[in-house]
Amino acid sequence: MYGKRASQLLKDQACCENGQFTPFNSDLFDQVISECNEHSLQLQSLIRKIEEQNLDMQTTRNEDHFGAVIHHLSLVRNKRCLMAYMYNRAEIIQGLRWKVGPVLPQEMQEKLNYSEEEYFKNHSAAIEAYMSELDLDLTVDMVPPKDPYIRVRVLDDIGEVCLDDHSISLAKHSLHFLRRTDAEPFISQGLMEEFLE
Amino acid sequence: MSGPWSEEAEEDASSLAGTTDVELIKRAWRNEKAAPEILQFEGPLVLRVREQIQLLEETVEESTENGSNDLVVSLYQMDLDRTLFLLRSYLRIRLQKIEKYMIHISKTNLWNRLSEQEKKFAKRCTEIMEKLLEQSVLARLPYGYESFLKQSISSEEDDMVPEPQLDTFVFCKAKDAVGAFQLDDSGDEIVDLVADDLYVIRYKSIKGLVEAGQIDLV
Repeated sequence: MYGKRASQLLKDQACCENGQFTPFNSDLFDQVISECNEHSLQLQSLIRKIEEQNLDMQTTRNEDHFGAVIHHLSLVRNKRCLMAYMYNRAEIIQGLRWKVGPVLPQEMQEKLNYSEEEYFKNHSAAIEAYMSELDLDLTVDMVPPKDPYIRVRVLDDIGEVCLDDHSISLAKHSLHFLRRTDAEPFISQGLMEEFLE
Repeated sequence: MSGPWSEEAEEDASSLAGTTDVELIKRAWRNEKAAPEILQFEGPLVLRVREQIQLLEETVEESTENGSNDLVVSLYQMDLDRTLFLLRSYLRIRLQKIEKYMIHISKTNLWNRLSEQEKKFAKRCTEIMEKLLEQSVLARLPYGYESFLKQSISSEEDDMVPEPQLDTFVFCKAKDAVGAFQLDDSGDEIVDLVADDLYVIRYKSIKGLVEAGQIDLV
């Protein structure tokens, strides 16, 4: 049935929403694209047929006209689905820059296709350009601060880090009392967690 | 100190407190957060707040150096952190709105509401979004269907542009009484907006009041 594959593409996406990110479904995606081109060929041939019979394109209402309309509408619907699929993914990718940071973990990166990786890099660069023009980091302070300092537990060996004017050693499993703004980048990269008693 | 002078001074201080720049940025932040579309950029206010942040940072530094009371320092620090959060969050919300509605914004007079830096950001965002969709979808579609803004060559208007939902409901509160206010064009629904009462109204109907600063979103 026309348009079935395209709706499947979006259904798969809708099923695992809530920030869940699925690998790019290039098989199904390519199938929809070739369906589009098939529609176009059919559409062209129907239009040619009408023209060959020397009928007026604007007023003819025979079976060829309605066939052509069906192909046109199917194509447009497929296009909307493809665009929505890419666009929804792009929106999630935009969010990743805010939530995860400029470097994506391996398992995330594998779910993007080549253009999307490019998109992520370019989008990151756009945010960074804005921030450096303002000289203000907007990726920290994602939640309203309650206390300027928080207790954190280090989840991975980070090593010697320079914070403010003194350096501290962030060994795995150690507990620290840090400024929230210093700790946040580590937390978003999954290297630390807030320690709640 | 006693006498009428100090009372006056106190009154002045309290009326000033209601309109400090921090209060104003908080208001701008709240409005921006609740409004479905992007509002006018508060350029001068943002500049003033940044100056104050710098001042606060200097105060914190000085107090730490000359060994002031830890409690005082941490109070300054907290104040500083809160102001910084407001500012960052305000700018962030705007960027996220631009990410979402970049094409709609650049096509309408909403464009004039952006700061210079935001305009640059919006342009870059549009370019890269166009590039992504071009590479993965549009370039592979047949002739007549490869437009970024239109569904096909036969669409008369740009019908593929995401737009903000202006008829969503928002919570709002008027500082001063607005009086009888007409909610829709037909004039059937008229609401008397009383100061400090809380209302839930469609954003579209009170859009003008929000822009004029007569009503605040909550």
